[in-house]
Amino acid sequence: MIFSYNYLQSFFKEPLPKPEKIAEILTMHSFENEYIEKRENDYILSVDVLPDRAGDCFSHTGIARELSVLLNRKIIYPKVKIKETLKDKLPIKIENSSDCLRYTASIIKNVKIEESPKWIKEKLEICGINSINNIVDVTNYIMLETGQPMHAFDYDKIVGGITVRRAKKGEKILLLKEKEQLLDENILVIADDEGPLAIAGIKGGKKAEITKETKNIILESANFNSKLISQTARKLNIRTDASIRFEQNIDPNLTINAIERTLSLISLPSSSKIDLYPKKLKPWKVKVSIKDINDTLGIIVSEKEIIGILTRLGFVVNKNMTIEVPTRRQDITIPENITEEIGRIYGYDKIPLTLPSFSKPAQINYDIFWQNKAKDTMKELQYSEVFGYSFIGDQEKEEFNLSVREIINPTSSYYKYLRPTTIPQLINFTKENLKYFNKVKIFELGKVFGKEERIVLSGAVSNSDYLGVKSDILALFNSLGINKVSFTKEEIKIGKDIIGKVGIKSGITFFEFDFEKIQKNAIDNREYKHVSYHPIATRDISGLVDDDLEIEKIISKIEKIDLVKSVEVFDVFKGKNVPSGKKSISLRVNLQSKERTLDGQTIDRIINKIKETINWEERK
Amino acid sequence: MDIENIKKEALEKIENIKDKNDLDLFRRDYLGKRGKIRDLFSLVKDLSIEEKKTLGQKINQLAQEIEEIFLLKEKGFKKEKKEEIDLTLPVKMTELGNLHPITQVRREMERIFQLMGFSIVEGPEIENEWYNFDALNIPEGHPARDALSLGKTFYLKGGNVLRTQTSSAQVRYMKKIKPPIKIIVPGRVYRYETTDASHETNFFQLEGLFIDENVSVANLKAVLKKFLEEFFKREVEIRLRPSYFPFTEPSFEVDMVCTVCNGKGCSSCKKTGWVEILGSGMVHPNVIKNGGLDPKKYKGFAFGLSIDRPTMMKYKINDIRLFHSGNLNFLKQF
Repeated sequence: MIFSYNYLQSFFKEPLPKPEKIAEILTMHSFENEYIEKRENDYILSVDVLPDRAGDCFSHTGIARELSVLLNRKIIYPKVKIKETLKDKLPIKIENSSDCLRYTASIIKNVKIEESPKWIKEKLEICGINSINNIVDVTNYIMLETGQPMHAFDYDKIVGGITVRRAKKGEKILLLKEKEQLLDENILVIADDEGPLAIAGIKGGKKAEITKETKNIILESANFNSKLISQTARKLNIRTDASIRFEQNIDPNLTINAIERTLSLISLPSSSKIDLYPKKLKPWKVKVSIKDINDTLGIIVSEKEIIGILTRLGFVVNKNMTIEVPTRRQDITIPENITEEIGRIYGYDKIPLTLPSFSKPAQINYDIFWQNKAKDTMKELQYSEVFGYSFIGDQEKEEFNLSVREIINPTSSYYKYLRPTTIPQLINFTKENLKYFNKVKIFELGKVFGKEERIVLSGAVSNSDYLGVKSDILALFNSLGINKVSFTKEEIKIGKDIIGKVGIKSGITFFEFDFEKIQKNAIDNREYKHVSYHPIATRDISGLVDDDLEIEKIISKIEKIDLVKSVEVFDVFKGKNVPSGKKSISLRVNLQSKERTLDGQTIDRIINKIKETINWEERK
Repeated sequence: MDIENIKKEALEKIENIKDKNDLDLFRRDYLGKRGKIRDLFSLVKDLSIEEKKTLGQKINQLAQEIEEIFLLKEKGFKKEKKEEIDLTLPVKMTELGNLHPITQVRREMERIFQLMGFSIVEGPEIENEWYNFDALNIPEGHPARDALSLGKTFYLKGGNVLRTQTSSAQVRYMKKIKPPIKIIVPGRVYRYETTDASHETNFFQLEGLFIDENVSVANLKAVLKKFLEEFFKREVEIRLRPSYFPFTEPSFEVDMVCTVCNGKGCSSCKKTGWVEILGSGMVHPNVIKNGGLDPKKYKGFAFGLSIDRPTMMKYKINDIRLFHSGNLNFLKQF
């Protein structure tokens, strides 16, 4: 919101500090100053009034009031001088008092519509409002001053009286400078006996517009239900200087003050004020405790100082620290609101830094522990970590035949589903990166969304060397302390549970694991195995085994035999010279004892045992 | 055989030795278990004590001399075997794997808060509207609810939303853990945004929450300053400015002195000397109530820190979209 430095100055007798100083004081105690700009003999201050204070601070009076508290200076309110001598009247009706809290109006006769004086035009221009004519400009000027939006109607164009009511479905209004607007029963209007004159709190209509020919006017200073105005403004997508103020909780007691100031500036005789105010808003009470305020802030501010600050803010401090809140401060309802007022006015910079006393040590989060361990291992295996969006589009959905959860309001059709897998993205990333790299190895540990939200560890490698990927997977599981892992043709299992899969698409090998299943089986404590210094005896054997005996099983069976250190399968083939139902395999067996060097006899005995175990046949 | 002859013969032999194998043979012949020196000693044992003494000394001396020339020769061989190398030849750098810069920064943040006794917890990314809004004192009809829910929130078919802030985990953990509650919640959050160099729909936050019987703004200031100093590895000045969040009261915006210009004012701090670093405040009593705790007994502070922005500050990254680009030319720099 834009404020004029000179305008603010007009509330004080003594000169204000420089604009930069004002900006700093406001930033540290009230609202952030965005920028300062010099304009001829004035300065623009752009101030981000906080949403909870818009009700009282979308006005120069509001900011001046803040400054008077912060600089501890007396504020001088502009004078009011009115002559309510006209006898004219207009019937006004509020249909529902929860839609319109107050409606104040006044009739002025024999106005001359002309250009505004220069000083008003300048103030409006600085604050970003176009000058229209002397009457409309005064209402806008008073809005900038008090925060109360006003409206002027051509009195002679109103048929019958004014009713504040909900629009009827299908009713229309021709707005100022705009096209026709269709209305419905969720929209509040100001209407005469014929139809709507204005959309309440948002915009006036053409019918009773002030024109050069206007002679008599009626001024409106009203208070509407803020939620209703906010909903309407959003629905119609119309934001005006009036609507942004009415969307906040403006003090309904302000209407009289604003209309009187307007009449003072127009300085023509007016009618008695017509004032409909069904439920007068009175100050309310909040009880606070000095100790609570100080405990929360972590500082000691004396009772006297606290009372001083509250009094300057316009609160009435009664016995036992029961605070009477002025009706303009509708943001203050609980003791914590008062604590904030004390804190910000006293100055957050004066609050010391006190580290909390030690309570208890942080607890290890094992989810994070295992995620970190897995990520580190992937890095050691030369994979680079990538993040994909949680969103995918139709292309991924169709190409990978995925069932997906849909987002109601996606930012684009490329991002309209939640990803149930990260594989499509990893494959895309791999393809993209192949434009710049000879080899790509990437992984992601992230959330995917099926029926449930779950975490997966997945990766992609830019070739079809799936056995190389298998080696990586083995290293990963070893690092996570999992040794019960087994493989089917395309899947990875722990025990009977399928925990992941491997595949090849467009020459890219990918894999994806359910990380929760991995974590469930991961073990952090290892037991030292005796390190043997005795030599390893290596024997290669080739021969036939039953075709349906899986290589995995052969290895695990052999590795269980005493003194076998490890087994590698270095050749498997079927076909020529191999009888059906059989396959030829070549194994390298490493044997080692912890206690002694193995002699030939022992080695032969073990090799025979291996052959028996796997139902071995010599090749013919 | 006499001692002098053995010595002469040994010296001649070793002079002619050309390779390591011959040298090993020499060692075996003279200094080994069945070598010539040993033979000499075995001859001595039948002599008289007097002779034993003089001859013994001589043999010892011979042994010493031969060992010395052997070691000298051996050393010479080792020297000769030095490999020729040339480090000026060009090579390709060894490929390492990389962790995402967000992962690295997130870990650093977690480490620092853990040192201050904050435990790490995580919350779901698909949230129900109650935890995402209502529990945080943003009821239906609240202007902040409209601002968040109508403009910034992704809604899912069949109900629920993608969490708009990690704060949605606050009330979940208040219900789960007894005070003192001292947690951080790092994770991915979602906002409906038109993406550009500084706006993303998927980004990362770290929420902090400390609830106990006596928690103050002074504690908040100290914890945040300590964190920022550890994180930026330098002295840091911070300031609290008034702000507004529905879930905290009082609420603050926390600024730190601009690390680029040290507060003098530059383009990265818009000439103010300060950089907005996080939002924070004292937990609103309604939020404490929603967590099933008594706001008369318990107070607390909460803060929400972006992970993306400090990462961008740290590495001077100018486009937030790079984080989800999967581009290895970017990711391999960290």
